[in-house]
Order: sequence, then structure tokens, then C-alpha cells
Amino acid sequence: MIDKSILLDDKTFTVGIFDDSDKLLNAVGTLKKKGVKIFDCYTPFPVHHLDRALGYERTNISIGAFLCGLLGSLTGFTLAYSMNVVDWPMIIGGKPQDISVFTSFIPVIFELTILFTAFGMVILFFARTRMIHGIKEDLLSRRQTDDHMVLAIDNGEPQDMSASEIQSLLASEGAIDVDASRTSFNTSLTDEDELAKQLMTK
Amino acid sequence: MYSADIRQPLVTGGKTYSDVTADICRPIENKPTNSWWLGFSIGVVLLLVLAGTLAWTVWEGIGTWNTNKSVMWGWDITNFVFWVGIGHAGTLISAVLLLFRQKWRMSINRSAEAMTIFAVFCAAIFPLFHMGRVWLGFWPLPLPNAFGSLWVNFNSPLLWDVFAISTYLSVSLVFWYLGLIPDIATVRDRATSKARKYWYGFFAMGWNGSAKSWGRYEVVALILAGISTPLVLSVHTIVSMDFATSVIPGWHTTIFPPYFVAGAIFSGFGMVLTLLLIARHVMNYQDYITKEHLEAMTKVILLTGSVVGLAYITEFVIAAYSGYEYEQYAFANRMFGPYAWAYWTMMFCNLMAPQVFWSKWARTTPWFIFVISIVVNIGMWFERFVIIVTSLHRDFLPSSWVMYHATWVEVGIFLGTFGLFFTCFFLFAKFLPVINMAEIKTIIKDKE
Repeated sequence: MIDKSILLDDKTFTVGIFDDSDKLLNAVGTLKKKGVKIFDCYTPFPVHHLDRALGYERTNISIGAFLCGLLGSLTGFTLAYSMNVVDWPMIIGGKPQDISVFTSFIPVIFELTILFTAFGMVILFFARTRMIHGIKEDLLSRRQTDDHMVLAIDNGEPQDMSASEIQSLLASEGAIDVDASRTSFNTSLTDEDELAKQLMTK
Repeated sequence: MYSADIRQPLVTGGKTYSDVTADICRPIENKPTNSWWLGFSIGVVLLLVLAGTLAWTVWEGIGTWNTNKSVMWGWDITNFVFWVGIGHAGTLISAVLLLFRQKWRMSINRSAEAMTIFAVFCAAIFPLFHMGRVWLGFWPLPLPNAFGSLWVNFNSPLLWDVFAISTYLSVSLVFWYLGLIPDIATVRDRATSKARKYWYGFFAMGWNGSAKSWGRYEVVALILAGISTPLVLSVHTIVSMDFATSVIPGWHTTIFPPYFVAGAIFSGFGMVLTLLLIARHVMNYQDYITKEHLEAMTKVILLTGSVVGLAYITEFVIAAYSGYEYEQYAFANRMFGPYAWAYWTMMFCNLMAPQVFWSKWARTTPWFIFVISIVVNIGMWFERFVIIVTSLHRDFLPSSWVMYHATWVEVGIFLGTFGLFFTCFFLFAKFLPVINMAEIKTIIKDKE
């Protein structure tokens, strides 16, 4: 495994833990309105409108996907045309082998378009989200992939409000737990006893 | 949260988020049950049958099959089309129903997609081994060969099939894996043993469920669904063109693409129901796969079964109306010739049997649905058998008319693919979450 965290490394966070997605969404709205800069939220399932509430713009990965698809179409056409027309025309049943048989190239062009779009887009997604096999995961709560939702505020970032004000705001929004200084940890590389010790000290 | 009181809840039992996680992770985190061992052992035994019969085919040659100069496609291509068709329900459920915002798909899409992948594995075996020299199975790929630049023929539907099936398999795998990542991360964070931590950690690719990732993830899933939909339609369209672009009476029909696609969805849903009814019972997932789900699926069966039935009748009427005696003979021979029993089995299983689903009782009674789903599977196998064998065994020249019966090797390979399918499915049910936890958690409060 790659033992280098590249997402949340060396940062401490103020976290609010929620057990209800509606409460989390409201909390994000309130905090944003009061000008608190939120680092990110971590949820076990996609919470609708959360990205909009956090002010994230819609990803433009679809443009990348379109370009990959275009490349796939061109590859399909080039493959069929260069092999069956340019390099070695096969005359079968006296049928022509030139651009007029373009229609019979369409299935291959279509399939390669889909293939390139799917793989290109997923590779772009992994690259953009910094995901790769064996990378160390950064968690702020052991249950953030189970039933808890985490609202994280980077302590290193200057805020207009004091830390205690933010904490009481999180609590008043229905956070079941508020922690003023939490650092990321991972479950897959850490020994269970050591992990328990780490989590206790935090 | 959206709620329409007229509908039943999608997940029953008043589950909380942590209940969902605990229920769905239970088979992964506990020792396998006796029923799992039983099913898995049957799968492995049949898998050994597959290995044995394939080895015998390769060792002795393709003459161990009864395919001959007239019936050059027999059980092998029948089974190929059968398995490819079964795969289609998975993509249909996860892609088409996602585009239509059908939330009931969420508790069945994971296992249906797994089924797709395993079914395509099974399907691929048949054309590969039918080529005779399986070690030269890479020849249909567009590679330069040793004798010069003689390439593959891009005008041939058989080549289109190579591209279609391999694209279908790889895109389905990507779609399935992408859907699994958040759930693998859930298993990782609950894991206590070192091996489980490592392997689920490895395949979770560092997923931590940040809102940024989810935003991108959902767009990617939507686009994948958008491109998988025409893909799944194209795959069976191209499979049908293997037949439709020939000049064999009974095959040379323009109705084939829509007819095959409807048949594929029909048979796929039949297999999904067979598997899910077993899984629901064995794993106690009645709260997740509710009667509402079963009812929705039986309605799809009813619709596609009727489309297929309409296609059978249309084909027959067009043949009668064509004024082309070979075409007319091909259909008369299907209905009254030596393979009439296969034709009428097909008509009964596909056209008549699913019509029982007009009744609400039939749509909501699990054991009855199970019986009909098996009937549908049998019927759809016979459909491919009828199309292939009855069209070939009596061609234009009466001197080349023959009868075709499968040998034990052909039967063994077919049974063996069920072994491969079930072995893969049981391993999947043991090591991966059978239901998409992340998606289910978004709808446990919903009614739709």
C-alpha cells in the first residue's frame, strides 16, 4: 500500500458528526450563511444537494468523457478503414471495399466509442478524485462509511468566527458529537489495538 | 424527503442506516452457512464437469459434438445466445432503470450486474471452443498475422459480435466495480481481521465518501448508465444480426433485432427472479427485496413476454404472406416438423405462461414466481434452439437434410456453464455486498 496520505495529511479539523442527512444539509446551509469556511463533508451515501450547499460546481468530467468518446469513434473508423480499405481490401461476394461500405463499419465504431468513453471517464474520475489501488484512506470517523456524516472544518483556515462559536453552532444544528481537533486516520493499514489507542487520544 | 403515500415503502422493517450496514455485511463477516456450502459445492461439481467436457473437446476435437455440415450451429450457439441474453437484465436494471429514476432497482441492481458479468463469461466459452482450436482464439482480433497484412473482415456481423461482447463485458465490469467501491470501503472500515482490512482497503482505492467525490461519482454513474443503455441494445442487436444478415429462411428477418432484445430482457429478468428469490430466502433479505420488487419485475416479464410472443406471431404471418416457399416451409416445419415439440414448448413457456402475471396473486406469490421464472428460462433456451436448429436442419437441398441431437459432451458443457455461473455467484455472495448499501441508505425513508 502507498503509505502517503495526499488528501487530509497534516491537518487538524473541527468536526461535527451527524446521524441524519437533513440535519447535515441544514447545518451546512447555516454555517455557509454565517460565513464559516467548510473543508468538506463525508457521508456514507450521496446526500442530494449537498454539493450545491457546499458551493461546489458541477464537475466537468462529462467533457472529458465526450472527448474520450470522440477518440473512440476516430479509432474505430481508422481501424476499419485502414485495414479493410487501404491496406488489404477483401473482395467478398463481389462487394465493393471502399468508403461506400462505411455503414458496415458503424457497429465497430459505435462499440469503440462506448468502450473509450467508459474507460476514459472512469480513469479521469479516479485521477481527479486521487483514487488508486492501495492508497491510504483518510477517515475522520470510523463510521463515516456506515451511518455517520462528518462535517469537517479545517483548523488551519482563518475564520471570521471563533472556534468555540463554530462548535456551539454545530451542536445547535443537531450534531451528535463535536470534536475540536481531529486528525485523519486509516483503518486498513493500522493494527486494531493501535487504532483504538489512536482514536482514544483524539 | 420525497414521499407518496399511495405507494408502499421500498425497504420494510423500519431499518436504520446501521441496520442496513449490519444486515448486508453479515454474510461477509460471518462463516458461510450450510445452504451456502451446499449451493457452492453443487456449483463446483458442475464446474468440474465443464472443465472435463471442455478438455475432452480440445483433446479429441470438435467431432465430439454432433454439429455437422447442415446443422453447423447447434447447442453451442444456442447456449451462447441464451447466456448473452441472460446478461442483459443486469445492465437493463442498473442502467435503464437509473435513467428512468426507478428507485426499486437499488436493492437488486448489484446482484443483477454480477449476473451479467458471469453470464457473459459463460457465453464467451461457446464461440471460443466452437472455433475448434481454442488456443487460436485471438484470431478474430484485428491483429496483423504472420502471412502478411490480412486483416479481419469488418463487414461481418461475427466480427461486430467480437467487439460488442468484449465491450459489453468490460464496460459492465467497470460499472459494477464503480458501484462497489463505496460498499467495499464500508466493509473495510468494519473489518477486524488483517487480511480483510488489507484486501477491502486495496480495492476501496482510498474511498472516504467526501462530498466532492460523491458529486463526481454520481455524474460518472449517470453517464455510464447513459452509454450502457445503447450498448446493451446494440449487443443483442448485433447478436441477432449473426442470423439476420444471412440468407437462411427463418433467419433472414428484419424483425430480429427488436425481437432478440425483448427476448434478452425477458430471459434476463427470468434469471434475475430465479436467483433473487433464492438469495432473498437464504439470506433473509425479505425487507430489502420486497413483494413490491417482485411485482415490478413480473410486470417487466409480462411486457417483454408479450413482445416476444407478438414477434413469434408476426414472423409466422410474414412468412405466410411472403409468397416465398422456402420461408413458408421453414415456419411450417417449425410448427409441425420433427422439432415441433421444441417449438410448442417455446410457445407455451414464453407466450402463454407469463400471461398468468395479469393476476395480482401470481405477481406477489414468491414460490409461484419462482416456478414461472424457471419456465421462462427453459422457454428462452428453446427459442434459440428452435431458431438455430429448425432453420438449419432442412435447408434448400433435401439431400442435405439431417436431424441433430446433442452428444453428452455438448450437454455436459451446457450444464458446466451453470456450474461456472453459480460458483461465481456464490463467491460473490460471500465476499461482496449483495445489495448496494450506499444506494439503499438514500431510499430507506422513501416511498415510491
